[in-house]
This record gives sequence, structure tokens and C-alpha cells, in this order.
Amino acid sequence: MIKPAASSEKKGAVLSIKTTIQDSIRNLLKKGMDQGVFDAVLIPMRVPAGDSFSYVLIKDKSLLNNAVALPPIMSVQGAKAVSSVTRLGNGTMKIAAVMRPCEIRATIELTKLDQVHVENMTLISIDCPGVMPILDFIREPEKAIKLFENATKSWDDTIMRPVCQICDKSSMIAGDLHIGTLGTKKDAFFIISNSKKGKDTLEKLDIPLNGNIDSWQIKVKENAEEKQKKRKKTHKDLKTKIGHLDNLLDTFSQCINCHNCMRVCPVCYCRLCYFDSDKVKHPSGEYLRRAKEKGSIRFLPDTTLFHMGRMMHMSLSCVSCGSCEDACPMSIPVAQIFSMVADETQGLFDYVAGRSSGEPLPLKTYKKDELHEVEDAHD
Amino acid sequence: MNRKIGVYICECGPNISEKIDIDKVIEAVRFLNDIVVVERYKLLCSEDGKKYLTEQIKRYGLTHLIIAACSPRDHQLTFMEVCENAGINPYLFQLANIREQCVWITADKEEATKKAIRLTKAAIGRVRCHSPLEKKEMESNPDVLIVGGGIAGIETSLQLAHSDRKIYLVEKTASLGGLIKNFEKTYPEMHPCSISIQQKIETINKTNNIKIFTDSEVEDILGFFGNFEIKVKKNTNEKDSVSFNVGAVVFATGSTLFNPNKTTCYGYGKFDNVLTALEFEKMNLSGEIVLKNNKTPKSVAIIHCVGRTEKGYCSEICCMYSLKFARYLKDKIPDIKVFNFYSDLCIPGKTHQKFYEQTQGKNIDFIRAKNIEIAKKGEHLTITYNDEKSGKNNYDVDMVILSPALEPTADTARLAEFTGISLGDGGFFAEEHEKLGPVSTSSQGVFIAGCSQGPKSIPDTIIQAEAVTGKILSSLIPGKKIEPEVKVSFISESFCIGCKTCLDVCSYGAITFNETKKVSVVNEVICRGCGNCVAACPSGAITLKHFTFNQIYQELKAAIQ
Repeated sequence: MIKPAASSEKKGAVLSIKTTIQDSIRNLLKKGMDQGVFDAVLIPMRVPAGDSFSYVLIKDKSLLNNAVALPPIMSVQGAKAVSSVTRLGNGTMKIAAVMRPCEIRATIELTKLDQVHVENMTLISIDCPGVMPILDFIREPEKAIKLFENATKSWDDTIMRPVCQICDKSSMIAGDLHIGTLGTKKDAFFIISNSKKGKDTLEKLDIPLNGNIDSWQIKVKENAEEKQKKRKKTHKDLKTKIGHLDNLLDTFSQCINCHNCMRVCPVCYCRLCYFDSDKVKHPSGEYLRRAKEKGSIRFLPDTTLFHMGRMMHMSLSCVSCGSCEDACPMSIPVAQIFSMVADETQGLFDYVAGRSSGEPLPLKTYKKDELHEVEDAHD
Repeated sequence: MNRKIGVYICECGPNISEKIDIDKVIEAVRFLNDIVVVERYKLLCSEDGKKYLTEQIKRYGLTHLIIAACSPRDHQLTFMEVCENAGINPYLFQLANIREQCVWITADKEEATKKAIRLTKAAIGRVRCHSPLEKKEMESNPDVLIVGGGIAGIETSLQLAHSDRKIYLVEKTASLGGLIKNFEKTYPEMHPCSISIQQKIETINKTNNIKIFTDSEVEDILGFFGNFEIKVKKNTNEKDSVSFNVGAVVFATGSTLFNPNKTTCYGYGKFDNVLTALEFEKMNLSGEIVLKNNKTPKSVAIIHCVGRTEKGYCSEICCMYSLKFARYLKDKIPDIKVFNFYSDLCIPGKTHQKFYEQTQGKNIDFIRAKNIEIAKKGEHLTITYNDEKSGKNNYDVDMVILSPALEPTADTARLAEFTGISLGDGGFFAEEHEKLGPVSTSSQGVFIAGCSQGPKSIPDTIIQAEAVTGKILSSLIPGKKIEPEVKVSFISESFCIGCKTCLDVCSYGAITFNETKKVSVVNEVICRGCGNCVAACPSGAITLKHFTFNQIYQELKAAIQ
């Protein structure tokens, strides 16, 4: 298995901030477009009505003035945008995509299923303080933007989504370039290269990779360790809450079967979900038979089965981005449950979804020597 | 559809009737939906039994048939034939195995009966979802491509040509004969071998229906059993390529020697007078065994098992030909001293032990040694080693012959990829089954013979060549149509997400990718219905006919309800 480059091998540059970090990022992207390093930029932008943010593919560089590299919410998971642009082939256009680390990881995960083509794309991530719950934002967008700005400065995650509060990969670099804001002075930020493509890009932009990124690495490590502790504790508590079938049924009993969680999931790749297909629709006789067996059956049927099916299907590729929980109208902690299951299933294969395009999907890899613990459990 | 299912329980003489309460089984399934008749019979696979079933099917106008009897391995085909003759599609039948899986695993009649009921119900649940499948027939080409003109390829060609098959024999070097043509004699009988191989080559040249391509390589193999398209190109002229069609392919690409250069301890390539087995065979064939300085050697060391640790297997023939070398040396230089350094002597077979005993004798020593190292000392070569008793030891000799492990030729991996067969241990072609299918491969119609399958002696190679001949003659019959597998997988275009996972897991090369539609497509003729792709498909787009999700679900549901 190809492991990602150790962080000590990563090279970076220290760039100064003249006005704001957002402006500096915009200028960098503009320079890239000016010099023909990028033909277009895929980046979030605030929608004209002001109450949301959306990914836009910018070809007119003056529009970059409205781009926001780190919006307070994740209305559409970036990997879904990348997939829309490139699923049918990468074309010849060189695109810079600016996304959060979990969005990049979902993108990398999709490359393994041929659902995105990033050969001509430069994936740029940014240190992520978390994402606000979408409902909190919509209620009072202006106030939310202020809150988010302050939280980004102080790196305070209390206003963020629960799954962001336990994210230990908020600075993980899986793409080509990464913008580091942790461990810097107010008037500077880091740009870190993680691939040959990233290195070439910076070379073309005349940014020499000779900066000292130690302070960033120290801060990232501290942050990740702290979040990891929190993550473990949250998962442990969650496990006691949902750990048995009855508890699980209780947890999902609020589900209204809208399947929003599936629709917004960046790595839910099926064309048609099995649970939306005719395969789960039965003649009434079958429901009567089930009702007879258990005394009654609930409608719509197969609610918990849907979530368990999705878990079986997705947990190895889940990047814990939280989109599902954001989309749940019943506020079921889907993302937290998925992050817990994902940590366990991915752990079995020493796999981290989206960490590196060099790591093949565990279910596509045959190894003679693995999963003995599962075999032993049945001896 | 109005189903009329008939259930027949076989007593299998006393086998089933004494260990299962068959009446209880009948009672348990009699009133299930669609069941029109449930009966017991003493022996359904007998001629009388088959006649009885045929009459019953006609009498009740059955649309589906369930038989609760033995393992499908025994009589599935028997009963499918009965269905066919009685006018039911043979795939609207299901066999419940209540003998091997019930009575033969427990003495407890009650338990066996309980399980028999579940299995019969499961079969009924399943058969309700069965769809009729139609047999396909295809014209086949009886011609055969043989790759490799060594003993395996020559023998297979001759055998098949003898049965009037058209053979295309492709050899990458300039002449036929393979490694054997370098040998003066073969063990154990020590008969001259160049004559017999020469005779065979002459026969081949004279045989009209063998087309020989020397200095040539197979450039591409497309298609499937019965219909392969072959492209062969001349090594000497890139543009000179020919295409033809065959029905079967035989890989007889032989083996090559492990390069002793890969281990520094033998000084191969560094010191004069350190030869590989093949170099020594050639020298011996030339008539004179001499040192670099043209002097006759007075002492020779033969090192067995060179590369065995690196390769991880015993090459079977090295000990024997090393003994042959000792004989060569003694014949040509009677007072020579020969040392055999071995780690384990491999001398199996009914004649080889005698050969070994006859080779032992004056001035031929066998030394069990470890950690062998060769160094140069003036005109001599010093062999330092650890023996079993006295520890570190050494000998000076004039010449060293290395007996290296056999390894597959460079073409092996390329040819395997063309045909979608896999490589086994050591990078040799993998056989379909180590014991039960030693010359067939995972690709139907692709066979392997000789050392390309693993190191082996000349007799074993000929046995394989003959086995391949038998396999081809009995499966690829001129004028007889071939029936590809019916239970194949099917990819739904609208569900396929184009991730190509199925291409990676298909062992038969049956799946291709349609770049225009961005979906995977199964070639139904190549597909063997193993189900790998169905299990691996992340978006549930693949269905295996006769093992559909619903069929398995209904079967399971009925079994555990």
C-alpha cells in the first residue's frame, strides 16, 4: 500500500497577507489565470440572494472578486461539483479547485471509482475550522457570517456542526496544494505542495518552496491530537447510545425516508439507490405476511435497513464531511454515526478514505492475509 | 404466470428413507402456494424414476419441478435432462440436497427431517423466481495455436496433427527444439537425445497440416474458446504479421534459467570457469570440456539448488541433470574429480535412485553444504561452505557448474494477460486446478503444457502434451457446436456507474468497457458465471442469471422463516 508522503517531506512557502487572507487567495488564483496556469477556477461563491453559497466554475477572472475560499456552510459537497464537471472525462481545460480537505478527500475517493477525472485539475485545500449547520446560517445569514469569521480567527469550533467538532483531518492534505492558516502570524499564510503537480504550479507562479512550515505542522499536530481525543470520546458515547439493535431502531425511528442523506452524500455513487428501486417494493401480500409475523409493520418500510445498507456500502469511503447530517430534516446524527462506523471499518483495512489516490479501495484489493480477527470470531 | 410446481422426494433406496421422515416433509410443503403435487419415489435417478417423472410432468402439466434428493453434483444434469425431454425449461427446476446436507451429516432423524423441510421449502421459494434460460450454440474452429517450439510444443503439435488438426506452431527463436537441442544425452538412460529431437523436427517439417512460424511472436489473442483471433508477427520484420483463427490455444513456452548473477556468492560473470548448467551442456555438446585457458579441468564442483531460496521452490530436475553432468565428465575425463554440493537431493521416480547409486563412486563426491561461496585463488576456484558436521570447510577446483532454478520465460506474463489467465507461484502459468485441472486454465480453450506450467522433466512434459491433446480432441470437435455457459452475468446500462471495478475482478477477461456509453459490457460467450463481478459491483448494476438477487433472497427467506 502506498502511504502518503510523510509531512516532513512536504515543502511550503510563507506568503504575506496585504488585506485579508481571502483577498490573497483570490489574487493568487487571478495570477494563475493571468499566466495561463489555470484556465478556470472552481470555487464557492455567495449566491446573489445572500442566503447561501454555491460552487461556481469561473472563467471570467474578474468574478473571482466574489469568490470565498472558505464559506461558512457546505451547501453542496465540493466533490459533487467536481464530479459534475469531470465525470465524463477531464477535457483539456486546466481547472483549479479550491475546497475543504474533506471535499478533496471525497474527490480522491471518487477518482478510484472513475467518477471524477482530476488529471487536469489542481486540487487546493485550506485549513478548515469547520462548517456551520446550514439551518443556523439560513436563519440569520449576516450574523452567521460574522460569527464564522470570528470563529475562524480564534479557531473556536463551538458554533460548528457536531461532526466538524470531532474532525481530526481538518488540515489533512490529499490534493496538490494546501493553504495553511494555522500557526502563522496575522499577516502571513502558508502554501504547501503535496504533489509534483502542486510543485510545478507554484514554480510557474514564481513561488519558491523554501519557507519554514514547522510552526504550521506543530499546530496541525496539536489540533489533530486534541480532536482525535474528542472524536474517540464522542464515538464511545455514541456507541452506548446506538450500540444495540433496539437503540439503533430508536435512533432511526424518526427517519422520514426522504433519502436526503443519500442524495447529498458525495461518495454515494449508485445511479439508482437500491432502496429507491423497485427491488424493495413488494405486493401487499408480502407486507401482510410481514405484519402477521411481527404483529404489525411500520410504513414506510425498510427505514433502518436503508441506513444500514448505506452504511455497509459507504462506510469504507466515508470522509465524515457531515453533508448527510446537514441535510437531515429530522436532525438524526447520521454523520456522527457514519463517522464512527467509518473509523472502525476503515481501521480494519488500515485505510483512510481519500487520504491518497495511491491507496486502492479495500474491497477491490485481495490480500491473502487479512481479516483474521473476523475469521477467528466465527471459530 | 400460473405456476404448477411438482415436488418429488427421492428415497434414494434406504439412504434417505431410513434417515428422514419423508411423510413429514411432504406434509410440510403440500399446502404451499403453487404446489400441485408432492410425491415420494424410491430412486428418481433410475431409468424407471426418470420415466415416472416424465409421466408426472405431463399428467399434472407441471411448469416447475423440485426434486429433493442428492447433491446437484451427482444428478443435477440428469434431472435437467428429464425436464428438457418432458418440455419444461431445465432452468425451471431446483434440486434440494437432502442427502449429503441432511442425512449424511447427522444420525438424528428429527434434526435431519427439520433441515430437509427447510431445504425443500428454500428450493420452492427459489424456483418460483426462476426464469427460463435458453441454451446457446456456436460454430467452433477446430484449429489450434501452439506457442513454443520446444519438446512440449512439438509433441502437442504432432499429436494433434495426427488427428488431422490444423496446427499453427509459433517459435520465437530461429529453430525448433527448445532447450533440449543443447543436450548430448538425457538421464537416466543416457541415450543420445539430439537424434530423437532432430527426428521429431523432421517429422514436423514434413507434416502438411502444421504451419510453423519461427523467429515469430504472438502479438495478440482475442476472442474465446472455439473462436480465437490470433495475430503473429515476425521478429525479423516488424511489419510482417499474419492473422488467423483457431479454436484453442496451447502455451508451451517453457522456462529459462535463474540468473546466478543475482547472488554474488557464486562469482558468476566475475570469475572464469564458472558456468551455468546450460553453458556446460553446450560445451559438452561441442565435444570438449575445457577451461578458459584450453586446459582440461582436473576437478569440477557442481552446485545444486542455485537460486532455490530466492525463487522459493525446488526445480525438480536440477539434481538429476547434475548427476548426468557427473557422468559426462567421467566419460570424457576419466580421472577427473567431481564434487556435488547440494542442500537436498531430489531423486524421485522408479529409475532415478538407481541412476544416483550408479553415479556415486570413485572420485564423485556428494557433499551436503550450506552458505556456499566461491572465490578465485590463482588459477583455481575456492569453494567455502558449511557442512553438516565439521563446520566451515573448503575445496579448490578448476571449474564450477551452477545448476540454477528454472523460471518462466519472459513471454509468460504477456501471454497470460492476452488471455486473461493468471500467473501462479513463481510466475508460471496457473493451472485451473492443481490436481483436477493441471493442463487447463481459467480461460476455457487455453491450455498449458511443459515447463511453462512449472519445472518438470521430459517425460512429464510429454505427459502434459498428451493430456492437452486429449483435452482439445474431446472438447473441440470439428462440426460440433460449442455451448457457452448459460448462467452468465448481465450489466444494466442504466445502473452501471462506469467505475470499472468489474474489469479488475473478472478472471476470464469477459468484461470490456464501452467508452462511448461509459458502461461495462459482459461478453456472454466468455463469461463463466463465477459471480465475482456481481459481488464487486459497487452500484448493484450486475446480475448473474439464475443467481439473481431475488432468487437468492427468496431461497434464504424460505430457508430461515
